[in-house]
Amino acid sequence: MLKTQKNYINELNRRSFLKGSGLGIGSVALNEMLAQDAICKDTGVPGLPDLPVRAKRVIFLCMAGGPSHLETFDYKPKLDELHDKPMPESFTKGQPIAQLQGQKLKVQGHMTKFRRHGKSGQLISDFLPWTAKMADDICILRSMLTEQINHDPAHTFMNTGTAISGRPSMGSWINYGLGSETDELPGFVVLSSVGGRNPQPIASRQWSSGFLPGRYQGVEFNSTGDPVNYLRNPKQVSRENQRSVVDAVKGLDQIRNESIKSDDINTRLSAYEMAFRMQTSIPELMDFSNEPKHIIDMYGAKSGDGSYATNCLLARRLAERGCRFIHLYHRGWDHHGGLENYMKICCGLTDKPTWALLTDLKQRGMLKDTLVIWGGEFGRTPMFQGKGGAGRDHHMKGFSMWMAGGGVRGGMSYGATDELGYNSVDNVVHIRDLHATMLHLLGINHSRFTVQYQGLDARLTGVEKANVVKEIIS
Amino acid sequence: MKTVWIHIVYIISRLGSRMMRFALIIVFSFQSWGLFAEEIDFNRDVRPILSQNCFVCHGPDKAHRKAKLRLDTEQGSRDVVAISNTSQSELIARITSKDSEEVMPTIKSGKTLTPDQIDVLTRWVRSGAKYAKPWAYISPVKTQVPKNVSKGWAHNWIDSFLFAYWNRERIKPVRDADTVTLVRRLSFDLLGLPPKFETVERLKKAEDVNAVYELIVDEFLSSESFGERMASYWLDLVRFADTVGYHGDQDHNITPYRDYVLDSFNQNLRFDQFTREQLAGDLLDEPTIDQRIATGYNRLLQTSHEGGVQAREYLAIYAADRIRNLSGVWMGATLGCAQCHDHKYDPYTARDFYAMSAFFADVDESKHFAVGSNSLPTKRPPEISVLSRKDREELKSLEARVPKTKEIEELIKKIKSRSVLTMVTESIEPRVTRVLPRGNWLDESGEIVQPAVPGFLGKLNVGDRRANRLDLANWLTDPENGIGDLTARVFVNRLWYLFFGEGISSSLDDFGGQGSPPGLPDLLDNLSVYFYENSWDVKKVIKLIVMSRAYKLSSSISDELKTKDPINKFFARQSRHRLSAEMIRDNALAVSGLLVNDYGGRSIKPYQPKGYYKHLNFPKREYVQHQDDRRFRRSVYMHWQRQFLHPLLKAMDAPSREECVAKRSRSNTPIAAMVLLNDPSFYEAAESFAKGLINTTHDNDEHRIEEAFRKALSRLPSPQEKSVLINLFKDVMERDEGQKDIEIDAWTAVSRAIFNCSEFNTRN
Repeated sequence: MLKTQKNYINELNRRSFLKGSGLGIGSVALNEMLAQDAICKDTGVPGLPDLPVRAKRVIFLCMAGGPSHLETFDYKPKLDELHDKPMPESFTKGQPIAQLQGQKLKVQGHMTKFRRHGKSGQLISDFLPWTAKMADDICILRSMLTEQINHDPAHTFMNTGTAISGRPSMGSWINYGLGSETDELPGFVVLSSVGGRNPQPIASRQWSSGFLPGRYQGVEFNSTGDPVNYLRNPKQVSRENQRSVVDAVKGLDQIRNESIKSDDINTRLSAYEMAFRMQTSIPELMDFSNEPKHIIDMYGAKSGDGSYATNCLLARRLAERGCRFIHLYHRGWDHHGGLENYMKICCGLTDKPTWALLTDLKQRGMLKDTLVIWGGEFGRTPMFQGKGGAGRDHHMKGFSMWMAGGGVRGGMSYGATDELGYNSVDNVVHIRDLHATMLHLLGINHSRFTVQYQGLDARLTGVEKANVVKEIIS
Repeated sequence: MKTVWIHIVYIISRLGSRMMRFALIIVFSFQSWGLFAEEIDFNRDVRPILSQNCFVCHGPDKAHRKAKLRLDTEQGSRDVVAISNTSQSELIARITSKDSEEVMPTIKSGKTLTPDQIDVLTRWVRSGAKYAKPWAYISPVKTQVPKNVSKGWAHNWIDSFLFAYWNRERIKPVRDADTVTLVRRLSFDLLGLPPKFETVERLKKAEDVNAVYELIVDEFLSSESFGERMASYWLDLVRFADTVGYHGDQDHNITPYRDYVLDSFNQNLRFDQFTREQLAGDLLDEPTIDQRIATGYNRLLQTSHEGGVQAREYLAIYAADRIRNLSGVWMGATLGCAQCHDHKYDPYTARDFYAMSAFFADVDESKHFAVGSNSLPTKRPPEISVLSRKDREELKSLEARVPKTKEIEELIKKIKSRSVLTMVTESIEPRVTRVLPRGNWLDESGEIVQPAVPGFLGKLNVGDRRANRLDLANWLTDPENGIGDLTARVFVNRLWYLFFGEGISSSLDDFGGQGSPPGLPDLLDNLSVYFYENSWDVKKVIKLIVMSRAYKLSSSISDELKTKDPINKFFARQSRHRLSAEMIRDNALAVSGLLVNDYGGRSIKPYQPKGYYKHLNFPKREYVQHQDDRRFRRSVYMHWQRQFLHPLLKAMDAPSREECVAKRSRSNTPIAAMVLLNDPSFYEAAESFAKGLINTTHDNDEHRIEEAFRKALSRLPSPQEKSVLINLFKDVMERDEGQKDIEIDAWTAVSRAIFNCSEFNTRN
C-alpha cells in the first residue's frame, strides 16, 4: 500500500473510516464513504495518483452507434476482392449476429478509398480528410474488442466495464480517484449532439456514478434552454434576491449547527455555495464572446446550436477550467443501410471539429496532458446489410479507435484484425485494456484502484485480467 | 480485545494515578503477548481478514484456486493452518515472510496485512485455528433477554439487549430526544410526511407520555400513508419502474403491482405470504386477482426488443438479472457473481446459480422479442386487465344490486372503463436450463440443470416432481425446512435500518462472507425469530422497534460516544440524515398545503425540465406534465423512467431501479442544492406557503415568521433565526420596492429559505 500524501489526515476525517488497511488503494468501505460527501474541492483518494501522471484529464469523443472501422481506419484488400461473394462460414459460424440473424451473409467491400497520411504513413479513409491531417498525432488502435453486440449494453460495457447496470462510469471513477481541479464546475461533463442516421437513444446510465457517491455523477449540459437543469433562478427571482435567499439558508444552517455540530451541515453549505457559483460560471463557460473569431471558425462553432463543433469548443473550454472528464456523444453512426451517405453526414459534422480540437489543444500546450479518445461502442460487420442501400450490421469482434495526447505516441498504429476485418487477431485491445491504459496514463494503477461493493473489490477494469498497452505510451 | 482493555484500564484507574503508569506498561506488554486477549471469534475476527485478502485465490472458486489450497474450510486448510505451534505453521510463515517471492498476500495482489491482522491470525492459529460457519448461514437463535441491566431505563426488550452491550462497552446512551424531534422523526419514518402541528402538541401536553406516544404510533401504522412510505423502500429492492430500461426505454404496464405493494403493507399482509404471492401467486390454488397482479414481480426486470437482440442471449440476461434480484431481496446474497464462476467468497457455485434460475424457466417472457413495439406503452405479454382493489369492491356491490337501474349500469360501465393492463407471470413448459460456462450463452456444452436451491443451504423435499417457484417461495420463508429464519434476519435488519439509519449489520445487501458481521448479533437474532414467530407481522416488528427507548433517543452525539462509538455501531444514540428524495418533495408539498393525498393508481408526472427526454428514441417523446391535481400527489407515484430518472429524484439519490438497491446513498451535492433552490415545483410550494401565511396571519412580520416555523418545522424560531429571516424579508422588500406582488415575493423568499434549510430536509 502506498504511503500517503499531504491531505491524508483531512481525507481520513472526511471519508470517515478507511476500512482495514489491507485493501487496495481506494478501497473505502462504501457505506461509510456514502455517509460523507461533497466538501467543496475534492482532492481524491489518498495515495492517488500512484504512478507518473501523463494525462490530467480525458476528452472522450464517443461516436455512438458504432462507426464502421472498414470505412475509417481498417483497410483490407481481401474485402474488396470478395465483394458480393458469400461471407466465408469459417468466420461467422457459431458467432453472435445482430440484425443479420438468419439472413444470407455476403461480403461488402470498402465503400471508400484509403490513403497513407503524414510522415507516419497511417492508413486513413477518404471519409476523414481532417483526421488524416492529424495522422502523426494520433495512435490508431486497429484491434479493439468488446463483448456486447447491441447499442445499449455495449455503451454500458464501454463506460463501466460491465454490461450489468448500476456500476460507475469511467468519468465517475476518475473523478472519485483523482478529485477535482475546479470548484466552480462539475468534474465530469457530458455533451451530446445529433446528426446522421436516426440517433440511437443514450441512457443517463452511461454517466451514472453507480455505487460511488452522487457527486461523481456526470452532469449533462444541454445545448438549448438552460445549459444545466435547474441552473436558472426560478421565475422572476433576481440574482441579488437569490443571493439573499442563499445567505439566509446559510444563516439558518449555521445557527442550527451551533447546537447539533454536524459535518454534514458544513458540507451542505459548501454545496449551496458551489451551486450559486455554478449559476455564474456555467453561463460564462457557454458564452463564446471572448473567443477570437479564427478559433470559433476553426471549429465551426456557434454557441447554443448544439452541434458537435460547438461541443468540441466547449470541451476545450471545460478542459482549460479544470474539468477532469469530458464526454462527447455524437449519435448518428448506426449505419445499417445507406452507409456512404450517412458517413458523409457524420464525418462532415465531426471530422473537422475533431481536428480543430486537437489542433487547438496542441497550440495551447494542452495536448500533452490531455488524453483524447475517439471511437464508438463497437464496429460494423464486413458483411453487407441493406436497410435502404448498402450498410453494415453491429460488430464487436474487431474495430478501430484512436487515442492522442496525454502520453500517447502519435503517428502509430497498434494491433490488427484478420484479412476481412472480422476478428481482432494481432495485439488485441479489449475494452478493459483500454480502461487500464487510460487509468495508467492518468497515474492510476488500475488493478489497485478498487472500491468495495457488495463484498467485491470492484474496479473499472473488472475481474478479468486487464493489460496496460505499454507499446503506445511515449 | 477492546473489552478486556477497557476493563483493565477501568481497574487501573481505580488504583490511583501513581500506580497507573507502571500498570499501563504491564497492560501494554500483556496485550502484545496476547495473555489477556479476548478469545478469537472466527466469524468476527478472522473471516473478514481471510475473505478480504486470501479467498480470491484460496476460496470457494475452484477454477481460480491457487496451489490447490482453500482457506475457507477447515478441511481445505488443515495442512497449512491448523498447527497450534505457530512456528511450524506455513500460513504464519508466509504472512510474516520478508521474502518478496514467499510473502502472502502476494505483492502483485496489492493487498497487505496490517500488524494487527497478523496478530489476530497468529493468535487464531495458536488457539487451534477453529472455523465456524459464516454468521449469515447460522440460524438465528432466540436467547434470554438480559435481566436487570438497565435499572428501569428500558421500554422493551430491544433496550435490554442494547443495554447489555452498552454495559459491556461501558458506554451510556444519550438523552431522550425532545418531543418535537421525536414526533417529526416518527412521522417521517412511518408516513414519509411531516407531522401535523397538533400531533406534536398532543404529545407535548400528554400526561401519560408513553400512552399517548403509543396511540400516535398506532394511528400512523393504520394510516394509508404508511403503505406509501414502505412501498418506496420495497420498490427500490424489487427495482420497480415504469419503463423497460433497455434501448428505447418504452413505458410498460405495471402500476397495479405498485398498488399491490401499497395494499400489502397497509393491510399488513404476512411477509411470507407477500413473498409467495410475488414469486408464485399464479401457482397458488385458484389465485385471486391480487395474487396474479403480485406475480408482476417476475416481470419487473429490464427488457429489450431492440432490433438485433437475440432471444437466447436476452433470456440468459433476464435469468441472471432475476437471480441477482431474488438473491438480493430475500437472501441478502450476491449470487450474481456465480453467473460466470463459483462465488469467490461464499459457497455458491455456478451450478447453484443456474439451478436457481431454472425455477423461473417456466415464466412466459419471450413473446415481446416478436411483438414488442416502439410505442408508449410497449407490449410485454402476458398482461391482464385489472381494476384497483377499491374499484373491484365497488363493482361487486353494484353488480349485486337488483334491480339494476340505468344509473347503476352507467356507474358499472364507468368503473370498468378504469381498468388498466399489468404484466403478470404465466407458467409455460419450462425452457431447458443449462450451466453456461463463463456465462457464455453461445456455449451449449454445459450440463442441464433442474430447479434446485444452493447445495450448501439444503435441498427441497419434492420427490420426483420438478420443483417450482412456489416451492422456492416456501423454502425462502420456512424457518423449519428452508431458510425462512435467514430471510427473516435479512428483512428485520433492513427494517432496523429504516428506523435507525443503519442496519445492525451495515451490509444490508451482503449477508455473505464479505459482509459486515452484526455489531449486536443477539439483538438481530432475537428480532428475526420474533418476526417469524409472530406470523411474519411487519407492523408488529416496526411497532416494537419504534416503541423502544433506543428509538426515542436524541441523535446528538456525546463526547463519550464520539470516541467510543463514532460510527454508531451500538445505537446508543439515534441518527440524523437527509430525507429521501420522495420525502423531500412530499414534505414541501405537505407543508405548503399543496399535497393531494390520493391513494394508488397510475403514475404521475409533475414538472420536469423541458427536453429532458431528448436522448430517448424509439419512439421520440415529450414528457407531458400533468396540469391538474395529479402533479401534487406523493412521489411514490412519480413516473419512474429508468434511463432518465426525474432529475429531482436523481439529484436526491433515488436509484434508477435497474438493480436491487437496499441502501441509497445520501449525498449533498451542488446539483441537489440547485434543485431545491430552482425547481419550479419547489418554488411553487414556497409561493403557495407564502400566500397561506399572508392570508391566514395578521400583518405582523414576527408573527408570520413564527407561524411559518410552526408549520414547517413544528417549533418556534429563536430570536437569531427570526432576525435572519426578517433581514431577508426586508432586503427583498427594499430591493424590489414598488414592484407588483412584492409582499408575496418577499414572503416567498422567506419560505424558500426555510424550505432550503438543513433542518427542513433532515430526519433527526
